[in-house]
Amino acid sequence: MNVKKYISITDFCRGHALEESFIYSLHEIELIEIRQVEAKPVIPRRDLRRLERLVRLHRDLEISPENLLAVDHLLDQVESLQEEVLALRRRLNRWE
Amino acid sequence: MNFIDYYKVLGISSTATAKEIKTAYRKLARKYHPDLNPNDSAAELKFKQVNEAHEVLSDPEKRKKYDQYGKDWMHAEQFEKAKESRQSGRGSGQYTYSSGDEGDFSDFFESMFGGFRQGGQSQRRGYKGQDFNANLQLDLREVYQTHKRTLTLGDRNIRITIPAGIEDGQTIRIKGYGGPGIHGGPKGDLYITFEVRNSTPFRREGANLFKTQEVPLTTAVLGGDLMVDTFDGKAKLKVKPLTQNNTRVKLGGKGFPKYKKEGEFGDLFITYQVALPKELTPEQKSLFESLKGTKL
Repeated sequence: MNVKKYISITDFCRGHALEESFIYSLHEIELIEIRQVEAKPVIPRRDLRRLERLVRLHRDLEISPENLLAVDHLLDQVESLQEEVLALRRRLNRWE
Repeated sequence: MNFIDYYKVLGISSTATAKEIKTAYRKLARKYHPDLNPNDSAAELKFKQVNEAHEVLSDPEKRKKYDQYGKDWMHAEQFEKAKESRQSGRGSGQYTYSSGDEGDFSDFFESMFGGFRQGGQSQRRGYKGQDFNANLQLDLREVYQTHKRTLTLGDRNIRITIPAGIEDGQTIRIKGYGGPGIHGGPKGDLYITFEVRNSTPFRREGANLFKTQEVPLTTAVLGGDLMVDTFDGKAKLKVKPLTQNNTRVKLGGKGFPKYKKEGEFGDLFITYQVALPKELTPEQKSLFESLKGTKL
């Protein structure tokens, strides 16, 4: 298994003291991608940061997987808008 | 140390029910959660206060203590009595809480519930620190045996054990060697990815090794003994008469160590490559011509 790119769901859930069913419920609503590598369900490592954010939101705020879909989408938008604001500020500073 | 009105923090009255406390907490936690307010330190601070207030008021025992002593907490005598009873209850006789993350919970909380914080760590909402990634290049010969190696990570030296049989591209996790935790959460982990280079004549597939071995023509035809190099030594093979080109033989247990299975090895597969002569002496040529005459 190319473990460089993936982390097994079992390992992730053990590390976060999490039920595996939560991960599968996120997959069902297409919030995360699950792949099979050497007959083991794995998550691409690049999705780890986002998945950990979802776990925190679910735990801290008791947000259901269905509602996480909307939250995740809005957070992505916030992040992209923040980046845009920063870029515009930098450009503006050049003229001031 | 200022008195913190936890009821005010949550925007509820001192007679609020458990349900009202929970509702107020959830509302404010959603508003100020750090993940929902990226790069907003004011929101993070507010979230911390809301969490602290919720931790006290949602716990009947803590709430009772807070209600009893909270507003008059500066009345040292009473407070000390409470402290003493708490200490004797714990049996340690001293406060050993050490704050590695100053400013996480307020000093007020510390004074009121210092003894509880340590035990109540699991109730706090800490965030795991950042995970670190590192790459380590090794030669196939080096991963044949379990060995220790010291890595330098920033200003720290970490001595790790590299188990025999580690795969190219495999990642191992060193727990607690990542970035510091946030809000008292655990440290992140260190992920080390191994790049195993192979400069040997052996091809590796998991714990099995593969090698092509030249066999003299006469040995292939008539059979005989053949010395071959294994990964850690030599082995004598009995070549059967009339062995065909590309015949593969297995040397059980002469392969690579199995990862984390002490004493277990894969197999070594040898593929025979019959070596045809590139030049012949007059005598050899004459013998081949004789063979040709037999319609071989």
